[in-house]
Amino acid sequence: MDTHIAEPWRAGRSLATELRAVLMIARKEWMIFRRYPSWVIALFIWPVLMPLAYIFTAQALGGPGGESLTRFQQLTGTRDYAAFIVLGSILWMWLNMTLWDVGMYLRNEQMHGTLESNWLCPTWRVSLILGGALTKLLVSVAFILISLLEFRVLLGVHLLAGNVGLALLALLLTIPIVHGIGIAFASLVLRFKEANAMVFLVRGIFMIFCGITFPVAVLPGWMQVIAAVLPLTYAIHAVRAALLANAGWAELSADLLVLGAYAIAAPLLGYILFGIVERGARRRGDLGQY
Amino acid sequence: MPSTSLAQPTWRSYIRAALAIARKDTIVFFRYPANALFRVIEPIAWLTPMYFLGKSFAGSAGNTGFAAYTGTNDYMSFILLGAVLANYIAAVFWGMGYALKSEMDAGVLESNWMAPIPRALLLVGQTLASLAITTFNSAGMLLLGWLLFGFQVSGNALAAALILIPMLVALYGFGFAFAAIVLLMRDANTMVDVSNYLISMLAGSQFPVQVLPRLLLPLSLALPLTYGFDAIRALLLGVRPLLALHYEIAILIGFMAVMTPLGYFVFKRIERYCQMRGTLSMH
Repeated sequence: MDTHIAEPWRAGRSLATELRAVLMIARKEWMIFRRYPSWVIALFIWPVLMPLAYIFTAQALGGPGGESLTRFQQLTGTRDYAAFIVLGSILWMWLNMTLWDVGMYLRNEQMHGTLESNWLCPTWRVSLILGGALTKLLVSVAFILISLLEFRVLLGVHLLAGNVGLALLALLLTIPIVHGIGIAFASLVLRFKEANAMVFLVRGIFMIFCGITFPVAVLPGWMQVIAAVLPLTYAIHAVRAALLANAGWAELSADLLVLGAYAIAAPLLGYILFGIVERGARRRGDLGQY
Repeated sequence: MPSTSLAQPTWRSYIRAALAIARKDTIVFFRYPANALFRVIEPIAWLTPMYFLGKSFAGSAGNTGFAAYTGTNDYMSFILLGAVLANYIAAVFWGMGYALKSEMDAGVLESNWMAPIPRALLLVGQTLASLAITTFNSAGMLLLGWLLFGFQVSGNALAAALILIPMLVALYGFGFAFAAIVLLMRDANTMVDVSNYLISMLAGSQFPVQVLPRLLLPLSLALPLTYGFDAIRALLLGVRPLLALHYEIAILIGFMAVMTPLGYFVFKRIERYCQMRGTLSMH
């Protein structure tokens, strides 16, 4: 029985069939997204609102005549603190959205009482998550584009002035990382249930250590060691260096190589963790419990 | 001991009912220990980047740029006090705003409204619980702030607490109206989230409002909460106030005098409207 819902290459299903299932789930999620206009409105409001408080704080720290900006410039290589903060915030908000959406996807199905029935479909279970993740990916792309546009129009922050190609490459490498983390997170939520607390914990760790709004160089040594383990640190550094300092391949190759390694490792880790948690849940019979 | 039966309402029976509601809410809050713990810890995740942001602007003489705006270079104590006051705003928006909605979702609102007590008393009980829980969370946050960021105050804490009273009464009065509006709108998450964030930001929870652009500054100065934040920081940290303190206190007392009856009035009107439309149990 288990072979029918195993990996498609073992169960004898074609990849086209599996792809159709992924697209159907993505379509269902897209319909749900469109049914809540407040979610769409939030997509336009938060990109600007969230970094604003940090930008105004940075302005206050800089002083009325910008007298304290020299120290910031020494550490970051730019006086444009608004663009520096905006780039970090966009990447963090993207991770935050993925944690809530992909991470909570299975949890929401669990709460609605539909997870067990979905699990009985003759489809690879990873396809169920991939379908949900595909819609979230489209929403994320829209979110990043809206952010860039709004900051250009409302605050005059021009983010597409430097090495756009390498920044885009860094973003592309970050996609599987963020979704790998999301799938690993979804598995943990399925196991440990207290979802809100877990989102707060994981996003808090990235918020504190990855230099979202400040240069990592001001962190104490032990915190810099943790920052060096987190992939978002490299993504933020690469995107900032490419767009704000017009950095080229020579300066960014190290960051991009690390991101490339994480782009392979993070989805694999998510997949392995998902397999372990899923098998455990079926053995214990607590898949539908919440 | 004289009877305090709810069937013969007296002030004592009302107080008993309000305390019972507050007790119920407190029990529910502590039934989710991880969430309760994270209510204290999570603000630290938002404040730590502020701390390091400050470090990235600090020269050998400290944060002189910040001092030029505020009169103090202790930016972390400035931000931590703002975060504590913002906790109360969040409690009003999320706790009070969602108080009736949560009961509606749980399917107990109609049965609770059948209880022989004034309906506003249900919100008074929830207000008491919210105040107690938020104060508990804020104390934990300040303790962590003291340990991690060296939070310290040097001014008159009693005078600051006295200023806090009209501000909180007015805020919770506003919470009455807001709870009723959420009841009316039903799907109000985005509205609550955005309003909470915007009002905290415009009131200057994280920065001196002088840095706001010309477009936003009038909105900030029109919020009585801005003067509450400012007066409390002036008393505790020696920050240069926007106005003379007696003017700021008068604004807060005026805010309380207007907002409390207004909040009650809006709540009564919307309550009647919902009853007439029969939408109390719909969500």
